[in-house]
Amino acid sequence: MDTIIDAHNISKVYNPDTIPVYAVNNVHLHVHAGEFTALVGPSGSGKTTLLNLLGGLDRPTSGNVVINGVDITQLSPSQLIDFRLHNIGFVFQSFNLIPVLTARENVEFIMLLQNVSKKERDQRVTALLAEVGLADKMNVRPAQLSGGQQQRVAVARALASKPKFILADEPTANLDSVAATKLLDIMAKLNQEENMTFIFSTHDQRVIDRARRVITLVDGAITSDTGQTPTD
Amino acid sequence: MITKIAWRNIWRNPTRSLVIMISVAIGLLAGAFIAAIYWGMGQERFRIAIENEIAHIQIHQPDFTKDFTQIPSMPQAMEMLTTIKQLDGVKAATMRTIAMGMLANATGSAGMQINGIVSEDEAAVSQLKSKVIDGEYFVSKKANGLLLGAKLAKKLKLKLRSKVVLTFQDKEDNLVSAAFWVEGIYQSYNTALDERNVYIHISDLETLLGLSDETHELAVLLQNDELTIPVKNTISQLYPNLKVQDWQEVSPDTALVLSTMGQASMVFVIIILLALAFGIINTMLMAILERTRELGVLMALGMNRMKLFSMILTETVILVLFGSPFGLLIAYGIIKYLSVNGIDLTAVAGNTMGDFGFGNVIYPDLPIDQYFQILILVVITAIISAIFPAIRALRLKPVEAIHR
Ligand SMILES: Nc1ncnc2c1ncn2[C@@H]1O[C@H](COP(=O)(O)OP(=O)(O)O)[C@@H](O)[C@H]1O
Ligand SMILES: [Mg+2]
Repeated sequence: MDTIIDAHNISKVYNPDTIPVYAVNNVHLHVHAGEFTALVGPSGSGKTTLLNLLGGLDRPTSGNVVINGVDITQLSPSQLIDFRLHNIGFVFQSFNLIPVLTARENVEFIMLLQNVSKKERDQRVTALLAEVGLADKMNVRPAQLSGGQQQRVAVARALASKPKFILADEPTANLDSVAATKLLDIMAKLNQEENMTFIFSTHDQRVIDRARRVITLVDGAITSDTGQTPTD
Repeated sequence: MITKIAWRNIWRNPTRSLVIMISVAIGLLAGAFIAAIYWGMGQERFRIAIENEIAHIQIHQPDFTKDFTQIPSMPQAMEMLTTIKQLDGVKAATMRTIAMGMLANATGSAGMQINGIVSEDEAAVSQLKSKVIDGEYFVSKKANGLLLGAKLAKKLKLKLRSKVVLTFQDKEDNLVSAAFWVEGIYQSYNTALDERNVYIHISDLETLLGLSDETHELAVLLQNDELTIPVKNTISQLYPNLKVQDWQEVSPDTALVLSTMGQASMVFVIIILLALAFGIINTMLMAILERTRELGVLMALGMNRMKLFSMILTETVILVLFGSPFGLLIAYGIIKYLSVNGIDLTAVAGNTMGDFGFGNVIYPDLPIDQYFQILILVVITAIISAIFPAIRALRLKPVEAIHR
């Protein structure tokens, strides 16, 4: 299987000059296409920091992150922005939709940044919102949507750019269990039917149970990794 | 989509957007208003100077100066005056014979420029007749009538028909004195000039000086200001041996006042623009601060700096484009109204405006092209002001912005 993420020895140290905090400590990680991987660990264990490093939102203090053969730690800030646009999908804990845009526009926006044609945008927006079960909420602004619905729009938005993988930092933390289950169902379906790679952090056991690979972090270091288990 | 987001962001906080729009409108209004006051005053000063004091063109001997007891005179004065009056574009022309001397009575004396004038021509060129506030303007058949300024009359306790003695040197440097009687008292916009100028019949003065068909000064009023240079050139060609000067050369002070006024109004306009810039920078910084997280998300998702920058700039530009027409229209309305009705400063300034060569009522006015100059300045200021907050937004780091 293709390796899409290859993290070599990455560390992230905060306050290196005073009291150094090893938020991520010497992590080696390979992620293959099609994985459905959970990053678990107690609060403060470095899950968010690691995801930020893998997603090119932050730069490691040392080590390299190679995505699809590109060492993103070598990219300039503006190259990195462009790289994220075309390769990585993001889902955030607090949804972070653009409040002034409707659900449809939030999804379409990414494709506009990618200069996708109007026709293709329309098709994809409709298909994606249908896929996350929000065909009837296309023209509604985020404020009128429930948390679960907003997070599903966020998943549709992450998919819109046809990324190599989607990073989701505690995507269910702000959702009730019904909404969380529904979101997980959609993510799992996308993973199985479209082979979309998901890496999500969580400390919710029910979410962990849905993952096919579980990586445990303690104090910024990987303490266990189940490896990818085959689809059931 | 960038425009769409910018447009919708405007409606997120209508009050804040309104504040920017109103600031732009007020900036325009205030800028145009200040400029109009200065322009109006400058124009008034200019009109007064041209129509009451210096006219458009003056002609003298090349070595003309009032500092000598013998002022160089120009020959064949009558013929020259007739010729010039008939030139195209000339509205009126007059000649003046000048003697520097003294005016005295029992109360006291004062150094004086004694102007011998052709009463009708002078009235046409410098409106002298309309400035008479007491007595009459050279109507009496009696010889040696004299017109003097109100302030001087008060100082020397002179009334109508009072006797005064004028003393000066004639053509042969002999001291001559002659008795005159006050036929009229005048008051112009320029009280300083009034105190130093008396007017008598040109024939009376010529006789006393011993001049015949000679004069010291010719003043020419034109049908409009634009004719100044062409007519000046025509006259120069007709009389190559004489010094022909336009109003700017005769009175560099007036030209200087006009340019100083322009500069002064520019200073005020700049102050207003700075205030506007400050307001916009503050307000937009606030808007960006409020949206830190959102901007961080846009960056995380892959919106590049150029697009982010233009999104924030677009927001300000839209506000400016909506605010400016209001400001312009209100400014135009107010200025047009005041250009007709005027602002009467008598209540605040008394008659002091006269000491500076102005009327008591200011008529603010502004040519259309200057409205647009101010509009352009305001728009540029607003856009430059939006750049600072936009640059601030670019400095955000997505990770920090999102987890704020
Ligand atoms: N910007 C920062 N400056 C200093 N320390 C930080 C910063 N961000 C995270 N940390 C520290 O790094 C460690 C890992 O944090 P984080 O990645 O957020 O963990 P998690 O997402 O697993 O809760 C924590 O000890 C946290 O306090
Ligand atoms: Mg976290």
